Amino acid sequence: MRAVRRLHAASAEAAALGLHAGQKATDALALVPELVTAEAEPEADTTALSALVDWCVRFSPAVAADPPDGLLLDVTGVDHLWGGEAAMLADFRTRLAKSGLPFRCVIADTPGAAWALVRFGEDGTIAPPGGQGPLLAPLPPAALRLEPETWAQIERLGLRRIGQIMDLPRAPFGRRFGQAALTRLDQALGRETEALTFRRPPTPWFARLAFAEPISAPEDMARVTADVTARLCARLEAESHGARRFELCFHRLDGKAMPLSIGLALPGRDPIRIARLFAPRLETVDPGFGIEVVTITAQAVEATSGRQVRLDALRDAALEDGLAPLVDRLTNRLGPERVWRSAPVESHVPELAAARARPLDAPAPEVRAWNREAPRPLRLFRRPEPVEVMAPIPDDPPTLFRWRGQVHRVRRAEGPERIAEEWWKGAIGDARTDNLRDYYRVEDDAGGRFWLFRVGLYADPEDPPKWWLHGLFG
Amino acid sequence: MSDFRAPSAREGRLDAARAKIAAIETGGRADFGGLPFGDARIDACLPGGGLPLGRWHEITGPGMEVETAAAPALFTALMAAPLALRGQAVWVLRRDDLSAPGLAGLGFPADRLIQVCARDEAETLSVMEDALATLGVTAVVGEVEAVDLTAGRRLQLACEKRGATGFLIRRRPFGGQARREAGGSASATRWRVRSAPSEPPAGEFGLGAPRLDVTLERCRGGRTGAWLFEATAAYELEVQNLEARDGTHPLRLVAELADRQLAPAQPLHRTAA
Repeated sequence: MRAVRRLHAASAEAAALGLHAGQKATDALALVPELVTAEAEPEADTTALSALVDWCVRFSPAVAADPPDGLLLDVTGVDHLWGGEAAMLADFRTRLAKSGLPFRCVIADTPGAAWALVRFGEDGTIAPPGGQGPLLAPLPPAALRLEPETWAQIERLGLRRIGQIMDLPRAPFGRRFGQAALTRLDQALGRETEALTFRRPPTPWFARLAFAEPISAPEDMARVTADVTARLCARLEAESHGARRFELCFHRLDGKAMPLSIGLALPGRDPIRIARLFAPRLETVDPGFGIEVVTITAQAVEATSGRQVRLDALRDAALEDGLAPLVDRLTNRLGPERVWRSAPVESHVPELAAARARPLDAPAPEVRAWNREAPRPLRLFRRPEPVEVMAPIPDDPPTLFRWRGQVHRVRRAEGPERIAEEWWKGAIGDARTDNLRDYYRVEDDAGGRFWLFRVGLYADPEDPPKWWLHGLFG
Repeated sequence: MSDFRAPSAREGRLDAARAKIAAIETGGRADFGGLPFGDARIDACLPGGGLPLGRWHEITGPGMEVETAAAPALFTALMAAPLALRGQAVWVLRRDDLSAPGLAGLGFPADRLIQVCARDEAETLSVMEDALATLGVTAVVGEVEAVDLTAGRRLQLACEKRGATGFLIRRRPFGGQARREAGGSASATRWRVRSAPSEPPAGEFGLGAPRLDVTLERCRGGRTGAWLFEATAAYELEVQNLEARDGTHPLRLVAELADRQLAPAQPLHRTAA
């Protein structure tokens, strides 16, 4: 069976000639013999859409891609930065027009209404708050984001306007066309809420700076970083909040967005400190032909008490002024996986007994500390090293072992400390009684203290269990 | 030599000279005091009667310890433990094989330790410097193969900012060829540490408390010496925390090892007759 080649999309010129998406390519060629076609590239379209989503972050931090060919911006509370929705839309149009993409845009109360108006309504419509009903009424049912079969059926019944559907009694309509159709109608009219998948979590903690002239000099970038950070931090300060993560984004003239992010160990809002953490990374940002907008968002925002409350506690003061900035500097320079505090984990397996916790987090109170009576080595090898051993069977500590080519005579020994697998963590059928390690703490005649273990038991004389060195006590 | 001045003027000049010498010896540094071991046999050798604080100390080990650095880490952890209890400790590693349960077993407050895994020598030193100059940090341990005079001076300046004490374990964590030894060092003391056979109490099985054979090879403004130490608090349940030991140093001096003395012990300051 041969697949039928169809038009995936048509340009404005082609549409004027009567071509439309979904048409058979042969029919289209028959209508317009000089038609130029190109293969559809859905992956490239997706990539381009996500790049456009990044570009749009300069207008609002909450941008949701609406594949295959749309995107939604939540402009609630940001339009005042442009002086109103109309001015914002005009700015959006002029900037997006520079990219050469054909586009339509509208502003409405709900994602559903915006979707309908941008595809079937007039380009550039700004629906007044709560006033999308009259605007939607003349549109065809296809504008309701329904399945093609559903709206085709609705149209067959002679309902050619959304307004007609709005006048119908709800219950019979729902029974006839399904709950989904009713939901879509309600979503468009704002009678039901709709969750959008925003590319970034929407955060009200957002600040931006736009420049009359694009900037590219490193010192300018450092200055605008400080300025935009100060702007956001002033708001955090005014509302007694602090954030653990800050994301700075430079928007270039060519539409690329260059994000940088830093993390803090404790929620903070000190603009100088935050800008200083960004400073070493600024050189990784390629300004291209210039940067026109810089935005910053704060994430993981928490309410923090003011400075005054903390001054009485000396440890807190030391933490806030000394340790927290140190941890921030180190984690942002070396990476969060390279700075840690060891926290106890209730496990018998030596390599699992310590977990890496964030340096300044309070220890979990319900976890018991390490057992001080069971000696554990100071240096625990990530990979136990094989040793050759002379040990009386079955359960005696070795009398002699060779490690890294050196023979150690055991003078004193302790053990065995038997550590079996944690059978309660897996399926009961997989649990085995012979999957265990017998640990011995031994001291050689020079005083070196070692932690040796034997895997398994002596069962098969042909295949004696292996011995390993797991750590050093010093 | 004619001596026609009044004796009191001569005394005064001598006092001034002594003060000058003392100032030269300390290099004009602020004095952050010392941490006594609690045994006169070693405290008498150290300037100020204890391990000088606000300085940095070098700890080395012989043979295989250059790579594993187990005994030096044990000694360092026990010297740094009383300091860590007063604030915060930072341990900068290149090979992250330091085990927190092991530290906790020795009585080191592992919940007050931040571990940092650096990528190379220069980074280790710069992280140490940064940590030493931080408010609230009392002890910083770093594992470095070699430290030249400039890096040593920088560490010293960082120590003096807040009086934090640095411990530098000389270690080549991934083996390989030794680099050329950098001449000179700005460290306050240099210790050579090796494990020593333990002595369990009579009639008990197994191993006794860990013992260390420690040589003080270099000591600014003090004397060198060699001692045998025992980590008395290690792996005992009764001693839950060093804080409960009301200031007793976790290292107990067992014996003075006079036979391996590098230089005859003699006071640096002679009393002017």
